[in-house]
Order: sequence, then C-alpha cells, then structure tokens
Amino acid sequence: MASGDALQGASGPDDVLVAEGLVRRFGDLTAVDGVSFRIRRGETYGLLGPNGAGKTTTISMVAGLIAADAGTVTVAGQRMGPAEVEPKRHIGLVPQDLAIYPELTARENLTLFGRLQGLAGAALTQRVQEVIELIGLTERAKDLSKEFSGGMKRRLNIGIGLLHQPTLLILDEPTVGVDPQSRNQILESVERLSVEGMAVLYTTHYMEEAERLCDRIGIIDSGRLQAEGTRDELVRLTSGADVIRLVGTGDTAAASTALRGLPTVQQVIADRHALQLTVNDAPAAVAQIVTSATAAGMSLADVEITRPDLESVFLHLTGKALRD
Amino acid sequence: MRELWTMTRYDLRQRIRDRSVIIFAIIVPLALMFVLDLVLGDLTDPELQPTAVAAAAPAGDPLAAALVDVVRALDGAEGLDITVRTAAADEVHALTRDGTVQVGLIVPAGFGAALQQGRATEVTLVSGGGTGIEQSIVVSVVRSAVDRFSAAALAAAAGAEAGLPPADLAVIGQEVATAQSTIGFTEGVASNEQLSSTGALVAGQAGLFLLFTVGFGVTALVTEREQGTLARLKSMPMPAWTIVTAKALVSFILGIVATTVLLSVGGWFFDVSFGSPPAVAVLIVAAVTAATSLMFVIARVARTSEQANIAQSIIALVLGIAGGAFFQITAGGWVGSVLDLNPVSAFIRGLGVTSGGGGITDLGTPLLTMAGFTALVLVAARLIPDRGAVR
Ligand SMILES: Nc1ncnc2c1ncn2[C@@H]1O[C@H](COP(=O)(O)OP(=O)(O)OP(=O)(O)O)[C@@H](O)[C@H]1O
Ligand SMILES: [Mg+2]
Repeated sequence: MASGDALQGASGPDDVLVAEGLVRRFGDLTAVDGVSFRIRRGETYGLLGPNGAGKTTTISMVAGLIAADAGTVTVAGQRMGPAEVEPKRHIGLVPQDLAIYPELTARENLTLFGRLQGLAGAALTQRVQEVIELIGLTERAKDLSKEFSGGMKRRLNIGIGLLHQPTLLILDEPTVGVDPQSRNQILESVERLSVEGMAVLYTTHYMEEAERLCDRIGIIDSGRLQAEGTRDELVRLTSGADVIRLVGTGDTAAASTALRGLPTVQQVIADRHALQLTVNDAPAAVAQIVTSATAAGMSLADVEITRPDLESVFLHLTGKALRD
Repeated sequence: MRELWTMTRYDLRQRIRDRSVIIFAIIVPLALMFVLDLVLGDLTDPELQPTAVAAAAPAGDPLAAALVDVVRALDGAEGLDITVRTAAADEVHALTRDGTVQVGLIVPAGFGAALQQGRATEVTLVSGGGTGIEQSIVVSVVRSAVDRFSAAALAAAAGAEAGLPPADLAVIGQEVATAQSTIGFTEGVASNEQLSSTGALVAGQAGLFLLFTVGFGVTALVTEREQGTLARLKSMPMPAWTIVTAKALVSFILGIVATTVLLSVGGWFFDVSFGSPPAVAVLIVAAVTAATSLMFVIARVARTSEQANIAQSIIALVLGIAGGAFFQITAGGWVGSVLDLNPVSAFIRGLGVTSGGGGITDLGTPLLTMAGFTALVLVAARLIPDRGAVR
C-alpha cells in the first residue's frame, strides 16, 4: 500500500475515525481485505473505487451495521460494532440505497429518525425545519415521500443523515441516479458541512466528485486500499506524464521523427491519422510540438491534451479503468 | 424504550395509511365469514321450527312437574322455540294426532313415588308425525332428564335406608333432580366447549386471520431490509433488539385490534355471544401472543418479503385448518396431541367455554395450550440458525 506507513503513527486527538485492518468475508469472497484509514475532524475523506470494490462493505463496518471479521473501528475514541450504542451517536449514515419510509412524509421521516438519534422537543422541531430548508423540500415537507422524484428522495435520504449534526457524516455514493442540478446541490451541501467542521467519509466511483470534495482520497479495488493521499500526491504516483494527441493528415511519419527529436517529448506512438506523445508538462510544450509537427508536413485537425487524473492513477495502480 | 415506542408508533401510522392491513386483517375475514355462513350455514344450522308440546303430568307430583319444566326450559335455548301446554293424559294422543302439537309427553301417575322407591315407571313420548330435529331434541332431553331423576331417586333411596322420614326424602330427591337439571344443562354447553356453528365460524376466522395479521409485522421487517431502512435503523444509537421488538409490538397491537373487531362485529352480525368480556379479552391476548411469537421464527428464516409471506401463509393455513377454522378436525394418538397444541383450536375451544358461561378460571386448558405453544416457538426461534433479515 502506497502510504501505509503513514497510518502506523499514533492516533491523534483530532482523529474522528480510525479504521484498522478491516476484513470482511462473504463465504469464499473477501469483500474487504485489510483496509486501514483515518479521518480527522473537519476532513473529507473519499473512498474511490469501481463497483464491487468493497466501499459499501467498508462503510457498513465503520457504521456498525455489520461485524468485521478482523480489524477495528474507532469512532470519536469509542470502539464501534453492531452491538455498540454510544459511538453511533457520533455518526450520520446516508446509505447507498434509499433509506426512507415511502408512507411517511418528508417531515415525518426526519422526525422519526431525529427521535431515534436522541433529539426531542423544540430542538428536534427546529433541526427538522432547518434540514428541510437545507435540502430544498420546504414546499413538499408534508407530502408522502413515495410521491417524490428520485432526486428529492436522494436529498431527503441525505437530510436524515445530517439531522443530529454528527461528528462523522458517512455518505455512500449519494449522487448515483441524480440529475446534474440535484447532484451539484448535494456536492455543495457536503462542501458547506465540511467547512462547518464536520468530518465526512464519502464513497464514489466518480473521480470528479472525489477530486472536488475530498481532502484525502483512498483508492480501493478488490477489497484493498491501493493508495491513499491528496489528489496531487496520488497523481504523483503515476509517471506524472501528460499526453498530447495530434490528429491530422499529411506526413505523419516525418512529423513523428521530428517530434521524437524534441527534448520535452518522452515517447511517440503513431498510427495512420494521429500521434500520441508523452510529455512532462503539456501546456508548456504544446506550442513547440504543434510548430514542429506542422513544419514536418502534417496538417493538424485537432490537438488534445490529457493530464493525469485519478482515472489515470487508478489505471496505473490496478491496470483497469475506474468505470465499467 | 423511547425508541421502541417511536418505531412502533410510526410503523402503525404507515400500516394505517397503507390500508392493506385493514383490508386483510378485518374486511377480508368479515367478508369470508359472511360467505362461509351462506355456504355452510344451511348444512350445519337448519332453521329450527317452533314446536308445541302437550304434557300430561299427575297433579301433586313434584318430580313429574320438574320433568315438564325441563322441557319448558328448552324454550329460547340455542334458537329453540318450544311451547308447552298441559293437557290430560287422554287428550295428548288426540292433540298429537291432529297436529296441534308436535310432541306429546305423558308422565304416568305415581311417577315420583316409583322413582323414589326404585320401582320401574314409564314416561310416554308421542311423536306428532314428521321427523323434525326439534322433536329429536325434546325426546333426547326428556330421556336424559329421566335418567338424571333416577339417579337422584337412588340418592334419596340411600337416604331412606339411613332412616330419614319419607317427607324429607321427597324434598331431597326433588332438589337433587332439579338442581342437576339446571346445572346439567349449562354444563352441557360449557363442558363440550361447543360453539354454535356460526359462533365457531366467527371464532375460527378470527383465529385464522390473526395468524395472517401478525404476519404483517414480520413482512414489515423484511420490507425494511429491502427498502434500505433497516440499515439506517441499525446505524441508530439503540440496541438491535429494539428493532425486532418494535415489529413484534406492531404485530401484537394489530392482532389485538383486529381480533377484537372481528369477534365484536362478527358476534354482533351473526348474533353470537362469546360470553364474559374479561375472559374473552384474556383469550385474545393469549392467542395474539402465541401468534406473534411465530414472527420470531419467520424473521430468522425468511430473507425476502416473498419468503416471509409464503412462510406466514403456510403456517397460518396449517394451524388454521388443523385448529378447526373451517371445520372440526378430530384425530387420535400423537397426531391428535400435536393438533391439540394449536393456538387456533385452543382459541376456538376457549371461546366455547366463555360462550357457555365460563369465566377466566375455566380457561385453564386453552390458556396453557397457548402458553405452551408460545414457549415452544420462542425456544425454536432461538435454536434455528439465523439466516433472516435482521442479521
Ligand atoms: N451481503 C453480501 N453477501 C454476499 N456478498 C456480498 C454482500 N455484500 C457485498 N458482497 C460482495 O462484496 C463485494 C463488495 O461489495 P460492496 O457492496 O462493498 O461494493 P461497493 O464498492 O460498494 O460497490 P458499488 O459501487 O457497486 O456499490 C462485492 O463482490 C459484493 O458482491
Ligand atoms: Mg456500494
């Protein structure tokens, strides 16, 4: 694991969550295989991985829904497990699958779970109202949630997790199946909560979400945490190279030879109508490259620059694409 | 505790909104009672015709008068309409022959004295033609009354040997005879634990549908898993047992309400009285508890709401049919013992006791049966490996 040794340090007073060596098997399948990470107060931590990577299983152990076959979870200094009650006061869970009662209104759903979280009286009423406004359901608060659109249900699903202002908010792929507008709304609320000091554990298989929201990201695949760090730290794990793709007609062979001679170009792959160049710093090199290619007799139709992102990190680490 | 009540309350609110529980726990069984009554009613509960009886009894013979009173007391019982007119012994044949009365009863002179002295005597029953069930009832009641009187007379005879004066003996004999006749009559209903056929229909359907109604709790549990709310509930700061217990409580409350409504509405509609309300209430609570305990078994084996529904229906139908929700099943040997340990049959039998005038203290066997059933099921629920919804 790339930054595994960083985890060996003593647990700090700022750690809201410490997960250590989590293992969970389902029959012969090891869904989670030795996952360790920690989240500090106010930090947003992303678990990025494809379908079946073990994100939900990890989160289920963190939230105390299922027992770990090995390893420990500590939330706000307390040991978490299915039979524990106290540490659960500190977490707010937003499950991947909608977890709302269709025959209850938005307000009733919030009130029910608010009560179960220990809120009562005027504090409960006030928090329910605040959350209804936050998730933009003021107009629909009295409607049965079964009558809601998919996006509204998702927002309600998230609102329930926020109600008691948990120390650690756990969101499991909250934007799946949501239109771009609702999605943006959701991302904005998560950003706002993080600013307010809430620690967030966010799983997704959208790298843009992970890049936008998360202070640190753990890349998970086949039940193992493949790498962990900030976006930039992770990108540095790849060769770090940018790719420039030249599309056009004319003398591509001559252009290829000319470009190979440039010091900034590390590699050139040629096919009939395109050249793919690996360079260190694409924005700096692109002007010279275009000039050389044109001078060598190639007439360019398109120039594409691809900088390494989490997608390439994932590809680099696992040899496969993030999305299926 | 607070969480338990919160979950129960919101769950009940959803059940009421969803309406299916009202339909399946109350409306369907009531409709079924009505239909079954139409279908089965004619077979089992013929309309009883008003019956006139002409009785001739020697004057000044208290035992003879008591015998006539036994027949008179039949009026109004179990829907019988019996009118008794007194007549001279020689008139009785004429009255039966011309159809003025359907049954003639002639008690011979010296009837009381003969019984007391242990001598043979003969009561004549004259049938007025036809083979009505009413006649058979009168005849068999007179027969058994005469038998009882003989026994009473033997008691009196024993008294005579002990040296009591004859006047006292006559009083003893009469007391024994009349006392037994009244007690014997009520006992006849209570000890048989027999409900009228419509009473059995109402009780049977109430017992059967109770098993379906409590099933809503366990189905709800599996549905919670399917709709994802179970995961959320498990992330709440409360012990895991409160989730299952809340569902059991929902089942219990629905069961109590549905059964009470079914017995009240069914009883009112079919004109059946189940007897003392406190005793019936105790029976309902015991039956609902027994039915609810089944939920814990199903919760351990069913992984989907389809499985839960199927398991629930099979159990309900097996217990319901074996318990006599549709017709009485009698079996001997170990099959009979197994069938006897059935909350539905215990419930029906218990209602037979209460409708016959029995109180809570007379409900020993049915209550023990239901308690035994509950205990067995709860033990089974502990032993069955858990592969169900709430793991
Ligand atoms: N209850 C279960 N029984 C058996 N296998 C399971 C169970 N839950 C998860 N798995 C398996 O464990 C692996 C990890 O599943 P998990 O749901 O944690 O993945 P995920 O990263 O959340 O995927 P997705 O992005 O699709 O939600 C998968 O292969 C899945 O089939
Ligand atoms: Mg998942």
